[in-house]
Order: sequence, then structure tokens, then C-alpha cells
Amino acid sequence: MIEIYLRLVDKILTPIIFLIAIFLFLRGHDMPGGGFIAGLVAASAIELTILARGTQATRDRYGPWAVPLAGTGLTIAVGAALLGMYNGGFFRSIWLEFSMAGEKLKLGTPQLFDLGVMFVVVGMAITYLLRLGEAAEVAVPEQTRLERQREDRHR
Amino acid sequence: MPALALSLVILFISAPIFWLLKPHRSLWFAWLGALPPATITVWQALQLPAIAQGNFIAERYAWAPTLGLELALRLDGLALFFGLIITGVGACIAFYTAYYFEGEPRQGFFYLVLYSFMASMLGLVWADDLLTLFIFWEGTSITSYLLIAFKSDYKGATEGARRALIVTTAGGLAMLAGMVLLGLHVGSFNISEILAAPDIAAASITPVALILIFLGAFTKSAQFPFQFWLPGAMAAPTPASAYLHSATMVKAGVFLLARLHPAFSELPLWFWTLFLVGGFTMALGGVSAIRYTDMKASLAYATVAVLGTLVMLLAFREKYAYEAFVVTVLAHALYKAPLFLSAGIVDHAMGTRDLRRLANLARTMPLVAATVVLAALSMSGVLPTMGFLAKELMLEQGFQRLERGDGLVGGLMYAASVLAALFMVAAIATLAWEAFFRRQADEHPAHLHHAPSPGFVAPALLLTLLGTVGAFFAGMYENLLLAPAIAAISGEPTTLRLKVWHGLTPVFLTSLAVLAVGIGVFALRNHVRRAFAAVPEKFSSLAVYDAIIDAIYHFAYRLTTVIQGSPMAPQVSVTLLAGVAVVVYALFFSTARTGVLLDSLEIPSIAEWLIFALAILGALATVRARSRLSAIISLGVVGITVTIFFIVFGAPDLALTQLLIEVLTVILLVLVFFRVRPDPFIEDDRRRAFRLFVAIAMGFFGFTVVMVNHVTQIGESISPYFLEKSYSLGKGTNVVNVILVDFRGYDTLGEITVLGLAALGGYALLRSPQIHKLRRRIVAARSAGEDGAQPVSAVKHEATEVGHD
Repeated sequence: MIEIYLRLVDKILTPIIFLIAIFLFLRGHDMPGGGFIAGLVAASAIELTILARGTQATRDRYGPWAVPLAGTGLTIAVGAALLGMYNGGFFRSIWLEFSMAGEKLKLGTPQLFDLGVMFVVVGMAITYLLRLGEAAEVAVPEQTRLERQREDRHR
Repeated sequence: MPALALSLVILFISAPIFWLLKPHRSLWFAWLGALPPATITVWQALQLPAIAQGNFIAERYAWAPTLGLELALRLDGLALFFGLIITGVGACIAFYTAYYFEGEPRQGFFYLVLYSFMASMLGLVWADDLLTLFIFWEGTSITSYLLIAFKSDYKGATEGARRALIVTTAGGLAMLAGMVLLGLHVGSFNISEILAAPDIAAASITPVALILIFLGAFTKSAQFPFQFWLPGAMAAPTPASAYLHSATMVKAGVFLLARLHPAFSELPLWFWTLFLVGGFTMALGGVSAIRYTDMKASLAYATVAVLGTLVMLLAFREKYAYEAFVVTVLAHALYKAPLFLSAGIVDHAMGTRDLRRLANLARTMPLVAATVVLAALSMSGVLPTMGFLAKELMLEQGFQRLERGDGLVGGLMYAASVLAALFMVAAIATLAWEAFFRRQADEHPAHLHHAPSPGFVAPALLLTLLGTVGAFFAGMYENLLLAPAIAAISGEPTTLRLKVWHGLTPVFLTSLAVLAVGIGVFALRNHVRRAFAAVPEKFSSLAVYDAIIDAIYHFAYRLTTVIQGSPMAPQVSVTLLAGVAVVVYALFFSTARTGVLLDSLEIPSIAEWLIFALAILGALATVRARSRLSAIISLGVVGITVTIFFIVFGAPDLALTQLLIEVLTVILLVLVFFRVRPDPFIEDDRRRAFRLFVAIAMGFFGFTVVMVNHVTQIGESISPYFLEKSYSLGKGTNVVNVILVDFRGYDTLGEITVLGLAALGGYALLRSPQIHKLRRRIVAARSAGEDGAQPVSAVKHEATEVGHD
């Protein structure tokens, strides 16, 4: 029964949590938030899926993205730092400022770097959560269940 | 226009693009693949006249200006000479690759690494800054590793790759230390400035720096006693062997020595090290080549011999040595690459490249046979080829020394050259004869799968023809291409007049004798091979290397058993006590205590007291908990109170992070403790007392550190700077984030690298075979037990899971 409720929660909350993660990421440079926090929030959304649906379903959903994500993040971060070479050195920031619909917006290499940070955090979290979740699913409940069945049969 | 940087960027960008294009779909990608390197070759060729007149192209880019680091590129005669070989041969290899990997889905990945290597190698020879050079140097080591390990399901490939990586990067690190010594002494890492520094050869650090740099150059260029990694690298796909392990990468060490030659070659240390190491490597490699029946292994030892020759030639500061050096580099690239490519074609067509199983291929592959024969003539130094010119000049150098009465150097050089040359003649004659012309194979003759298409052979044939006729037309390029390279090596401008025919000189007669004796050895090849096979393996440098690696593994194992062999609690105690020891040392024995004592502590408010009490309660509950689950949850409570503290003190970013970490930690702990067996409850009072002591010590010293940090201040606080500059410099109002991603970006980069590595480690460790064994058992039990009706689905389930991982 619990699983059904959890699945419902997963269905409703997971997209919202991801949106929150994106929101936190985007506002990060000026208000509390940022890549690290956004990454953790996204990771908790994925953990919710694991708890509600198990690792296999989660793997089906995020699997192809999970493992390369940390490497992608690192590449993006280094790439953002390298872009700074254009502006006089490794890690020098470049900013584009423009206004759209009356709002002043800005885009810069530090934000790209932050995106890399977020990817690394999510990638690492998924890797551990999936692997450990798998181990926990397999090792304990299944084993005890099988043993119980065997005892039942003996009786 | 920044043409040099642009060329590197083109290659680096072509790499992923080619990967995404999936080039295995069509052979037309051969042309597209050859395009970027061919373009750069043409551009370089157009620069020849300007460079020959001394109008070098230099580009400098700031990297970390505050540290004085920069990326500096400079196209002088030597850089252009090597650059042309890299991109010219590279274009041929890129073309050949499409045929070699016809229809192979991983072809795109091969191109990715190949282009990355090409860019690194080009950057290496164009570099005008020692650290720039080092970065590209490591780039070539890593790409070489990926290419050797390309057939990752083959054990020899992964082992050979690891060996090559360990040897070359260990040498690279030694080299870095030497470069840093040189750079600090001169006050600049710019190569031109270092070479121009007065009295650099006489400086006290120079011998140490040189020996360290030699280590880098010798490991990279497979000099004795590091030569063993090169034959192991032959597990790489043939295009990589032809390109990296004969034409370009292995010459990086030689290139570095040539680069440093003008400043340091007067030193006796320089002369004797290069002369003896190079000469011995040349003799060893040349003699070993005939021993192997694998075509590529035989060619690899011949490459070792040539690399030894090049190192030996760089020992001298004389005209013939310089000329021999540049001609050998060029000739070797033009004959060895085609030989490798031909070996690859044979392998591709016959399914083997073992000489014992091959015979009479000239009938089925006449073009390949022609290529091999022409290249073999150049390699053995038969008259009109470029290889002949190279050998002639080298012998001339030895002869000059003899004539001047320097019997030791001249005699040694002459003897080593002749020995290496005649065995190489025998080895290449054996290869060409046995594979292409003899009637009958020794055992299990291989059969032709499919004949190679002309496009497959074309790149090899093109390179060979250049090498064969090149010597005739030396007048066209000797002062455009070779003389500027010699000028960069010797440090003085020079002109060149190469002659193919010198008349019946003693050197020419020696050359003839070498050929004759070489053919004699070829006739006796089976006896020679048997004699070599009797040499015991355990004196080889490979055996020594393996023993060293084994010893390191053994030591690591012993160390780990001592420190971490016990159950979890003692392990944690070791870690915690080590932390405490560091703090105690810092507090009581460190002399660097120049902090200022801040005046007072504020009295906390009631709300703070309440949170504080909650934290203590949580901690007590953790300790007193009866089950692990409740302990973990109580620990979570402690974490949440810390979060509340952050909120109270106005640090929303920290609070948010702490909260999320706390949630994820609780989940992770629960998951982890499913796997870890509980420690048995300890009845022994002494042990319990010890653990109590560890816990209290840790708590006390943690408290002390925080207190001391709070009431003292060392130096001036940097917080106001960050607060003030956050918006003006970092364009952000969230100071924490600006510090993380901008002001202290280097730190963050380091941290996420650690995170990424942790992810990789977790991925590898947690997919331990036990989990899979258990899972398979459960699946099997399930199909036999309750789900007995659907065994097929269970098996399918298992199969998908195994396939997935």
C-alpha cells in the first residue's frame, strides 16, 4: 500500500522538485541557490523515484544519463574555465548582458561552470544511490523472503 | 591571424565532430578524415620560405597571468619540420583508418582519440613554453593509452596500455620536476628565453634538471632500459602503431632533446649520456628485431633501434650528426609508417600477421608487396633511397671521429651502427621474403579473406614513394626544410648540400659490407632465431619492471591489511585519532601562532540555547539507540539542528546545502547499513573504554578547533574583500556562489574532480561480483520456486540485467 502512495507522490513531486532544482540553479548567482544545491535537490528527486519504484525502473528512466553525467559535468566545468582564455586567462569570466522583456539578464562562464558542478553532483549522487539501492533491494528483503518461504515449505 | 592556435583548435574540434558523424557508415569519410590534417600540412608547407629566412611565427596566450603562466607557441625550423611530419603522415593515417576499420562501429571513437593525439603532438612540437610542452606531452601519453587499449577485451591490450602509461607518465613527472628546476633558475618557462639564458649550462642545478629531463625523454622515446613498453604497445590497432609508435609520439623525447640541444650539448654529461644510452639502445633494438615472427613486434624493435640512433646523433655537435639526424627522422617516418600500414593490411586481409603462417602474398597483393619492398630497401639503406642517405651520413659521422683519432667514440659508434644496421637488414629482408615471396608457410598457412582495395594501399604507397625518390630531389627542399631544422638544433644558421653519391669512400664500402653481411644473416635466420630464443627472459627490463610493479602491489596490500584489515570501529578509530593528533600538534607544538585574540564571546539567546539542547539530545539519542535505524535517524536530528543554526545566523546557502546533505546522508546510511554486517556487541570493558576515549577526544578537539578559530584571527580577514567585490568583479549578489564559481573557481574545480573520481570509484566498487552472484541466485531460485511457471521470463530478466551492466 505504501508503495502506491509513494508512486503517486513520485508522479506529482518529482517534476516539481526538478523544476525547483532548475529554479535554484538559475537564481544561484544572485540569491541562495547555485549548482551544488541544485544538484543535491535533483539527486533527492531521483532518490524519491528509487524509493517509490525501485532501482530498475529508475535505471530505465535515467540510466543512459547517469554514469556519463559526472564526466560531462567535469568537461563542461573545464570548458567554461578554458573559455576564459579568450578574456586573458584560465578562469577569467566572460559575461553577456542583455535585456529581454524589460528584465536585465546576464549569462556568463561562471554560470556554465556552475552547470558543470551541478552535473557532477547529480552524477555522483545517482551512481551511489542506484548502486547502493540495488544492493539493498537484493541483499536483504529478497533473501529473508526466500528463507521464510523455504521454512514455510519445510513446515 | 592566430594560425597556430587555430590549427590546434581545428584538430581538437574535429575530434568529437568526427565521433558524432559515425564515420563507419561509408568509406567516403576517408577523404573527410584526411582533410583537417592535410589542410594544416598545406598551410605549414606555405610557411616554409618565410621560416627558412628566419621569420618565425610566435603566439602567446595568457593562462594564469598572476602566476606568470602562459601558453606559448612558436613555429621555427625544428617545429615546422616535425609539424609537417605529424600532419602529413597524419593525413595518410586518417585516410587509411577508414579502410582499416571499415564498418566497425567504434571507428568514430578511434578518430576522436586520433585527432586529439594529433592536436597534442602538434602542440608539443610547436610549444615555446616548458609547461605548455608538458601539458601536450601528457596529452600524447593519455591518447596513446586509449589507443593501445582500444581492443579493451583483449588482455594484452590493456596490460600493454597500462605499462606504456605508467612508464611514460612516470618519466613525464620526472621531466616536469626538471623543467620546474630550469624554469625557476632562469625565472621564465619560455623555451626561447631559457635557451638564450647566459651560462645556463654552467648553473649548479643544470645536471640535476638535465638528468630528470633525460628520464622523461628516454621513457617517451623507448630508450634502454625503458624500451620494453614499445613492443607491448603493438597491441594497438595498426594505424595507431604506425602513427604514434613509430612516426610521431615516440619521437617526442628525441624532439625535446633536439630542442634543448643548443644550450646544453657542450656538457660532458649531455654527450656521454646520450651517446651511451642511444648507442646501446640502437644496438639492442637492431639485434632484437629479427627474433620475432610477429610482423609488428619485429618492426617495433627496429623502431627502438632508430630511436636509439637519433638519441646518439644528438650527442654530437658536428655537421654530419645534424644532417644524419634530420635525414633519419624524415626517412624513418617515410619508410616505417608504410611498413606498419602494410602489416595492418596483411593482418586485415589474412587474419594474422604471424610470419610463420604467411607466404607468397606478392601474388595476391602485388601493390602491398611493392610498398613493402620499396620501404624495406629504404630501411636497409640500399642506394638511391632516403634511408641510404641517412645511414651514409651517420657512418660518416663515426668515420670523421675515427679519422680525428678519437678511437673510443668513433669506434664504438661505428661498431654499434654496423651491428644494428646489418641485423635490421636481415630482419626486414626476413619479413619481406617470408610474407611475400617464399612458396610455403611454416605452419597452418593463413587464407585470404578479402583482397585489399587500392584505397587501402594508397597511403602506404604514397609515403614509400616519397621516401624512395626523396633523396634524388633533396636539392628542392634541403635548404627549405632540413637546414632550418638543423639551425634550430645547432643554434646557428646553416646551409645544406646533400649528395646521394659520394664516390667509393670507405663509408660507402662499409655500407656495402653491411648489406652483404645482413643478407648472410638473413640466409641463416632460422639459426639466429633459435640462438635468441635460448636467452633467458628474466634478465629483460620487462621482468624487472614487472617485479617492481608486483612489489608495489604487495606493499599496498600489506599496508591496507595493517591499517584497514580490522572491523569498522577500529578502522574509524585510526582515522579519527590521526585527525586528533594533527590538531594537537597544530595547537601545542606549531610555532606559527601569530593570531590576534578577539575580545569576547556573546552570550547566546534563549532560542539558541534551545537548538543547542536539541542537538545534544539528538547526539545522546544516537549513542543510546538500540537499533541502527534509530541511530541513523537521531543523527539526522543533529544535522537538522545544525541547519537551524545556519538559518539563525543568516547563512541560507549553507542551511540549504546542509539540509539536503543531511537528507541524502540519512538515506545513504540506511542503504549502506543494509550491506554492512553489524559489529558484535562488545562485552570487553577495556575496548569500550578505548572507544569512549576516541569519541571524547574527537569531540573535545573538534570543539577546541572551532573555539580557537572563533576567538583568534590570523592575518586580515578576506571576507570584506569578497563582499565588496562580489558584484563589481563577479557580477553576482550571492557572495557564496560568486566565491564558489568565480573567485575560488580553482578550488571548486579540484573539489568536483574529487567528486567525479569518487563517483567513478563507487561505480566500480559497488558493482562487486558478489551482488551479481546473489542476484543470479535469487533469480534462479525464483524461477525454480514461486514463479516456477515462468522460468523463461526470469532468465530473460537476468539477461537484460547482465547486459545492462
